[in-house]
Amino acid sequence: MSADTPGRRSLAPYALAAPFVLIFAVFIIIPLARAGILALQQTYGPQAAEFVFLNNFTELARDPLFWRAIGNTLIFTLASVFIQLPLALGLAMLLNRPGLRGRGIYRLIFFSPQLMGLVFVATLASIIFEKRSGLLNQVLHWGFGVSLDFPWLQTFVMPTLILTTLWMYVGFNMVYFLAALQNVDKSLLEAASIDGAGPWARFRHVTIPAIRPVASFVVLLSIIGSLQLFELPYVMLNATAGPANRGLTIVMYLYQSGFEVGDLGYASAIGWVLALMLVGFAIVQARLARSET
Amino acid sequence: MRAILEAMARSVSLGVGVILTLALASVMALALWPIPDRPGLEMWIFSPEHQLLYEPALEQRAADNRAHVNMRVIGIPSLKSRMMSAFFAGIPTADLIEIERQMAGQAFTGPIEAVGFADLTELIAQEGLLEQINEPSFGPWTSRGRIFGLPHDVHPVLLGYRADIVEAAGIDVTQIETWDDFKRVLAPLMSDDNDDGDPDRYLLGMWFTDADRLETVMLQGGGRLFDEQGRVTMNTELNARLLAEMITWFVGPDRIAADVPDFSAAGNQLKIEGYAIAYLMPDWMCNIWRLQMPQLEGKVKVMPMPAWEPGGRRTSVWGGTMLGIAKTTERFDESWELAKDLYFSDAIARELYTRNDIVTPIKLYWDDPMFDEPDAYFSGQAKGRMYVDQAPLIPARTSSPYYKLAIDRLRDAAVAIAEWSRSTGTFDRNAIEARCKQELERAESLVRLQMQRNVFLEATP
Repeated sequence: MSADTPGRRSLAPYALAAPFVLIFAVFIIIPLARAGILALQQTYGPQAAEFVFLNNFTELARDPLFWRAIGNTLIFTLASVFIQLPLALGLAMLLNRPGLRGRGIYRLIFFSPQLMGLVFVATLASIIFEKRSGLLNQVLHWGFGVSLDFPWLQTFVMPTLILTTLWMYVGFNMVYFLAALQNVDKSLLEAASIDGAGPWARFRHVTIPAIRPVASFVVLLSIIGSLQLFELPYVMLNATAGPANRGLTIVMYLYQSGFEVGDLGYASAIGWVLALMLVGFAIVQARLARSET
Repeated sequence: MRAILEAMARSVSLGVGVILTLALASVMALALWPIPDRPGLEMWIFSPEHQLLYEPALEQRAADNRAHVNMRVIGIPSLKSRMMSAFFAGIPTADLIEIERQMAGQAFTGPIEAVGFADLTELIAQEGLLEQINEPSFGPWTSRGRIFGLPHDVHPVLLGYRADIVEAAGIDVTQIETWDDFKRVLAPLMSDDNDDGDPDRYLLGMWFTDADRLETVMLQGGGRLFDEQGRVTMNTELNARLLAEMITWFVGPDRIAADVPDFSAAGNQLKIEGYAIAYLMPDWMCNIWRLQMPQLEGKVKVMPMPAWEPGGRRTSVWGGTMLGIAKTTERFDESWELAKDLYFSDAIARELYTRNDIVTPIKLYWDDPMFDEPDAYFSGQAKGRMYVDQAPLIPARTSSPYYKLAIDRLRDAAVAIAEWSRSTGTFDRNAIEARCKQELERAESLVRLQMQRNVFLEATP
């Protein structure tokens, strides 16, 4: 049989695909399947596991802490989409003005929190928001007479986390928007101006449609990142969910259930709910984006 | 085969080929690299201070040609995840592992036979160690009646206070026996000299968001979160009464406490400035103060905690460490001998106090004159003796896999009550106590909900 007989040729694609399939199976498919089985069990490691079937999911449905985690995470997600992204777009538009000097410097300044890393930003923020000695309370006290004991990280946990992520991510998202804005066809904007369109009309009818693909991507990225919020509250709240669980997020509850209580089955169930939420958001967002094009 | 190689050669560029070759070579190297054989016992600890304590004893063992010990200091999160992964999977881990109290709950989760530490109950009884060790110190290391480790410490709690400020005001703390006395006698120190409407300093460094301190004071008053059978007991009349009293320390016209965090530069600065007068001071905290705030040397003293009622307990307990032997060890006898060598050594017990200010749980050593030596940091007090005197009186603690959960819910309850009290202007003690009952009931039901899900838990929640 020659080298290119059909029998031998048919082996080549499988052999070439095999490394990927192997890695994909070992690191994605098998863990996913294992997580699926775990979600139906109550476990204490492989030595002590009992099938409880859908019990973990029914328990989740009546677990007030889980609903608290969902609520907190959704608030954070909404803030990311409706506060953080408009701010990022606004900054990008300011930096996109023709004739602006030092654009690169501004871009670096706004982007720089990203260079520090999330844990460093969280540590720094927890010091800034500290009662009495924190920079923010000191400034508010001397400037506006606000009490030095204003409890940012006790009573206003979510607003504090949102403020910190604004600092961290506005510059990051701004870079995406700035790149998109610089690709908007100038001739279209000029034509709109000649036709009598004002700044708002140009923004609404020319700029927005032109940057929509990038905006859709940034929105999806923000939603996914927000739903997976963990490190920031974990560091800022000293490895807890904060007073009265005000900083409890879905991933933090997953972590607590799996690695503090030791119930990996329950944690897997939380993971599956989170995965379904992510898929749901992605589908909705994709449909919205498609319907608008 | 040739066809496959030709197809690969066509689709793989030179760069990809180099990367693939390097990847394959490194995988092969890793797979074939010989794992160094480490003879002797493997021991994991989390505290560098403990390493310094144990090293002389281990060197002596080496000189005596006894089993070599590979001692490793591993950070708490890493130690916890390595240990728990091994316990979960039932694979070998270190022969001996030192853990602190927060880690114990999870280590004892699941069926009793699945706990990764060897059950030492019979061995401890047979060798008469129960009588030698301070009995309440076994509490956190006991689960469902079985003992899984030797206690490293007692950690009695006294009240540390700024003696320079108190004595400058002419106040005699020997008049203080109860918490009511504490508030009354020290009240003159809560003056508002700068006329900003708030006291310049508070009497107690403690806050309603600090679950450890809430539990410490609650334990002192006889309250507890779990009983000996592991049942959750948060919602009791006593717990509600104790919590209500503490809430009046944080809010309202009788407020005496302020939020002064530990282990932070901001908190240390507040301590140095004397923003709060007194702090709960377990023995291990003495060393933290000594190292982090050397400028307070000679300005601090300790006294027994004020009791909840006349004649009541003047101490509590906070924290703890144990040494356990992994069930998977193949050298149990040698591990047990090493554990006893380290934890029953008089030299290490001495070092434990002289180096770390920690009182040994071995009662035999409590007569050591080192505890009577004046301590310059604590204004020349023989503070060691004061801790030793309180050591047998610490409240008993129980261990539960749900301890962390319960303590978090206790904190949530305290936060909810304090904020309700502040927002509604309700500072009446009875009204706060009624609210405490509601919140503790809610907290207990949340813990119970989790416990009821546990199909491995033998005890009824």
